[in-house]
Amino acid sequence: MTNLQEDSSTKADRHATRFVPGQPDMWVFVLFESLLFTGYFSVYLVGRIQNRELYLQSQAALDLRFGVFNTIALLLSSWAIARCVQASREGAYRDALRDAFLTIGFGVAFLVSKVLEWGKEIRLGNTFTSNEFFQHFFFLTSIHLLHLLIGFIVMGVAVYQLRSPARRSQQLVETCATYWHTVDFLWVLIFALLYVVR
Amino acid sequence: MSGTFNKRLAIVWLVLTAMTLAYIWLDHSADEDGVLKASTVVTVAAIVIALVKVRIIFREFMEVRHAPVLLRRLTDAWVVLMAAFLLGSYFIGSALVG
Repeated sequence: MTNLQEDSSTKADRHATRFVPGQPDMWVFVLFESLLFTGYFSVYLVGRIQNRELYLQSQAALDLRFGVFNTIALLLSSWAIARCVQASREGAYRDALRDAFLTIGFGVAFLVSKVLEWGKEIRLGNTFTSNEFFQHFFFLTSIHLLHLLIGFIVMGVAVYQLRSPARRSQQLVETCATYWHTVDFLWVLIFALLYVVR
Repeated sequence: MSGTFNKRLAIVWLVLTAMTLAYIWLDHSADEDGVLKASTVVTVAAIVIALVKVRIIFREFMEVRHAPVLLRRLTDAWVVLMAAFLLGSYFIGSALVG
């Protein structure tokens, strides 16, 4: 780190000095959202305990492969947006833009796979009104998908920022990234709770 | 500079993906001969692994590792809070239902 600091002063300084990534308001939103979801997760876990057999049987109708694929797709999108933030910080806007589109691409892969999974469950006869487990399943996955759809708008803002030299606010790009990562880590929790927890 | 950081991000992604794949093994280990079984070990492991992943996402992808001490402590506190909520509702719920 010290050698790097001597080489390129400003870029290294940015990493050496402590900074809040993006706007602090977004962090307030992130913490609020995770608390809200955590509250809902608690309701789900308590519901599970009261009706273990029903939850186990219903959960067995889920395809773990969809869950794993979706998690990896979102982790890839998070990785891409993290690269985008770093590229943009270094002034490599072409790379940053490419990574932003990559993020959107992995997000779309998640979206398509989620819709296919819903289709599969509905064909199996598992719908929102089937039972308590599927109520939780469809509620949690759709409220999460709503966050992902908002994420596409957020990514649109990031692309708009990166496209023109007149804009390019690093803080805004970081704010968008913080939102996107939140969509990712909320899914990490939803995946564990819906597909794996016994 | 960017090379070093991109490599780090790739490693972070690999670790998170490996933890995700570990769930497949965890899921298989849960059931005995196709019989579905509730399992405290699997439940706790699934929750703990997810929370470790969340903390890694906070620190590495969301760059909290470079953030001021307040944000670092706050996000860590949040992971602990989520753990308390999730494991708390599981164990207290189990104790009450019996």
